[in-house]
Amino acid sequence: MSIPDLSGGFAWLCGAALFSWLIATVIGFIQRRNPGPSLQFFLALGGLLLLISAISGGNWSVSLPLPFYLGDAGFNFVADPLARWFLGIIGLICIPTALFTPGYMHHLREHLSVGLVWSMIALLMISMTGVIIAGNALVFLVCWEVMALSSFALVAADHEHRAIRKAAFIYLGATRTGTAFLMGGFLWAHALTGTWTFADWHIFGTEAIGPALLIFIGLAVKAGCWPFHLWLPIAHPAAPAPVSAVMSGVMIKTAIYAMIRLFIVDEHIVAAFLGPLILILGSISAVWGILFALLQRDLKRLLAYSSVENIGIILMGIGIALLGRQWNVELIAQIGVAAALFHALNHAVFKSLLFMGTGAIDAGIHIRDIDKLGGLIRNMPWTVGAFIVGSVAICALPPLNGFAGEWLLYKGFFSLALLGPTVGIRLSALLLMGILALVGALVIACFVKAVGISMLGMPRSSAAENAKEATREMVIAQIFLAFLCVALGVTAPLFMSPLSVIVTRANQLPLLQNNWSIPVVAISIVIIAGIGLLTAWMIKLARKNPSRHFITWECGFGKLGPRTQYTGSSFSQPIARIFGAIYNYAVDITIKGKQRRHFPEKVSAEMNYEAYLETRIYLPLIHTIKRLSGNFLMRLQAGSIHQYFIHMALVLALLIWVGSR
Amino acid sequence: MNILLIILQTINLLVMPLLLLGVVRKVKALMQNRVGAPILQPFYDIAKLLRKSETISYNTSWIFIYAPRISLTTAVIAAVLIPWSGQLLPPAWAPATNFIFLLYLLSLGKFFVMLSALDAGSAFGGLGASREAVISILVEPSMVISLGALALAAGDMNMSAIYTHPINPIIAGLAAVALLIASLAELSRMPVDDPTTHLELTMVHEAMILENSGRNLAITEYASAIRMCIFWGLSAQTLLLMLPAYNAMPIMIKYLIGIGLMMIIGITVAFLEGILVRLKWRRVPNYLAFAGLFSLLAAMVAAVRM
Repeated sequence: MSIPDLSGGFAWLCGAALFSWLIATVIGFIQRRNPGPSLQFFLALGGLLLLISAISGGNWSVSLPLPFYLGDAGFNFVADPLARWFLGIIGLICIPTALFTPGYMHHLREHLSVGLVWSMIALLMISMTGVIIAGNALVFLVCWEVMALSSFALVAADHEHRAIRKAAFIYLGATRTGTAFLMGGFLWAHALTGTWTFADWHIFGTEAIGPALLIFIGLAVKAGCWPFHLWLPIAHPAAPAPVSAVMSGVMIKTAIYAMIRLFIVDEHIVAAFLGPLILILGSISAVWGILFALLQRDLKRLLAYSSVENIGIILMGIGIALLGRQWNVELIAQIGVAAALFHALNHAVFKSLLFMGTGAIDAGIHIRDIDKLGGLIRNMPWTVGAFIVGSVAICALPPLNGFAGEWLLYKGFFSLALLGPTVGIRLSALLLMGILALVGALVIACFVKAVGISMLGMPRSSAAENAKEATREMVIAQIFLAFLCVALGVTAPLFMSPLSVIVTRANQLPLLQNNWSIPVVAISIVIIAGIGLLTAWMIKLARKNPSRHFITWECGFGKLGPRTQYTGSSFSQPIARIFGAIYNYAVDITIKGKQRRHFPEKVSAEMNYEAYLETRIYLPLIHTIKRLSGNFLMRLQAGSIHQYFIHMALVLALLIWVGSR
Repeated sequence: MNILLIILQTINLLVMPLLLLGVVRKVKALMQNRVGAPILQPFYDIAKLLRKSETISYNTSWIFIYAPRISLTTAVIAAVLIPWSGQLLPPAWAPATNFIFLLYLLSLGKFFVMLSALDAGSAFGGLGASREAVISILVEPSMVISLGALALAAGDMNMSAIYTHPINPIIAGLAAVALLIASLAELSRMPVDDPTTHLELTMVHEAMILENSGRNLAITEYASAIRMCIFWGLSAQTLLLMLPAYNAMPIMIKYLIGIGLMMIIGITVAFLEGILVRLKWRRVPNYLAFAGLFSLLAAMVAAVRM
């Protein structure tokens, strides 16, 4: 593909954003203990500049002059519509993160270097931007690694806790494995094409299978796609909340970006198996992620599992698009990519909002356990209000933004069913619609639980009872994101044309403009008017017969306490029972006492579930690796100089043998 | 003609939900050898509730106050857009009748009602909300698949197109059965939930709205009556798709047939409720598996017969 070389204005704007973050990184290193407001300023400024450079358009490509050289390839950066879409996401999320972070880090200032966290966030932003605009595989890998390491440092920020150290190591292991696959795939592609530049990669047919598979696995690990999602629900909750927001909202999307870039938009690597594979793994991720999210008691872990689900939804869009490309049905390809891209943006907005809401609660009262919270809506009205907006958005309920993305996906499945060449494909497309509906209903259950149990009702602990609203800056950050959820939902029709341009092939016309048909604006106005009218009527009725406040109905047994409320575990119990085979779900109830049936002294219930993938596959695998390295590899490095001489001699012999062949 | 239809539709929208509820209760009473309340009793009930003052728990927030209003608004919008009485909307409104959109719009109301059930901190509310969530998990996929099969047969996702398009009667029949089975669960009717037992603990919908009273309860009850019309009306229209002659009839007659069939469905359900027992809660997935099965069959036929 050819990109007009407009290395003028917008490239400089992007460069200025990177420079601003670089300053923030350096300042953070200098002011480790007591970072000043300048950090916040530079981080937000970078986000703003990047957002402007992304929105205001203009494709550009830049190659840094000679001293900057990476062995085999130069520092080439390219920004086309696809890259700018993701640059926009980074810039957009960076601003509320900068607003939110100081208030959140306040409660952690005793035991970690806040300045370092700031500088790592800035470095993460720089590296994510680098990944998006990388023009060749080497630059991509370098930025990818910086991104992995800076996010590792952020996950490990609060490393005095053993659990957090463990989470950080699991994350490091996962990201190492992913990079290994990715590197293998890139090397293979390089061997086939002889170049590192993405634009010159055109790999087709059976040749493409190897590199496509390796690259896909490498990216899937980062994206958190099933069955490589293992690290995600462990690492994301361990990081400070604004970092989780960036990681879940933006960082995992860089892998989505790379998939769309390499496999679909520019068709650098075309392998027939990828479409069905991504579609299947995406739907499994969606169902699996939300099923496990339902069982979680820790709010942040719940949100992390829900990220697995949302990545699944995005991957479903990518899968549809790949199938469309395979059969040369341009409409399906465009709808699929548009659904994936729009959902990536939406998920970035509402997931960072939800993580920030959890962070605001965590920073105030240090509780993330759903069953110990409750009643927060009275003391934290703004945070909870924004959280509810985010929940409505993530449940894909109209007219908010989540619905727009998922509706596009339904539309994609429907087009697949309508235009699919075989009966099997048409039927599977209909079934996938059903799976998406199932996921939608599960998400609603999950977030009714998250909001209803942890924020409504009576407070279940004294800390929750005495919660205070977060600082003004934190609230502004959340309201900003909540506003975005509404705005993106209502203005969804405006996005169809830019999305269409991203996907369109050079010789094709954009087809999406007329495909968004839901009159969201009209319906939102009617909904608001309807609620307003009903409210006015109710107020009028209340004037004649005023409402009376009284206790919740307790069947006449006396005052209800917080302990008599439904808990999160009891809320999800029937669902867990239905899907029990997937979790190996079991509840043990023990009743103690002499006449235990009628006069129990103590009743205790314990819920157990097992994540098969973790316990049956990954754990034995890790144990095997540990055993092998303990029993075998350790002997190679026993500290005996004689043995080392033997090694050297053997290696020398091997080299001579290889060289003489 | 058109203005007449709009007036008729407005009256229908206001009167039909409660009338249907009254008829169902009356038939059920007759099945149990009772005289039963007058058919217009739901109207009296709503009028009385609107005149009474309301009791609100100390623990509640704005969610509790606003949830019934959101639920009623979304239900009314859906009732205007879904072709449950065979009405024909102006063509400009067709895009709004997208079936995914309407199902998700109804979910919006349900989401807030479930939240409001948890708002008062009562265990009844939690129990009801949890069960309601389970039912919608089991119901939504079969609804989407059966409507998707119809949409595939009609080649359009908009309901206004689906219900005016000649569709293979086998698909329509299978989808209608799936929708009926699913709607009984969705509406908290008999084999899944019994709205007439004496203990809220055994119910789903009534447990959820236990805390609502007065005008708040009136709105809630009205919204659920509208939902009943929507789902049974939709099943009736789907059944009518099996008759190719139906589409050719004049619009007024179509309208009356649609309303009549919905009434017949209501009476049949009430009759069945008189002779059936409520299923044990754990057996509900088995019952709803039938809805899933029929929707899958409809999808298969729709996928084969292009």
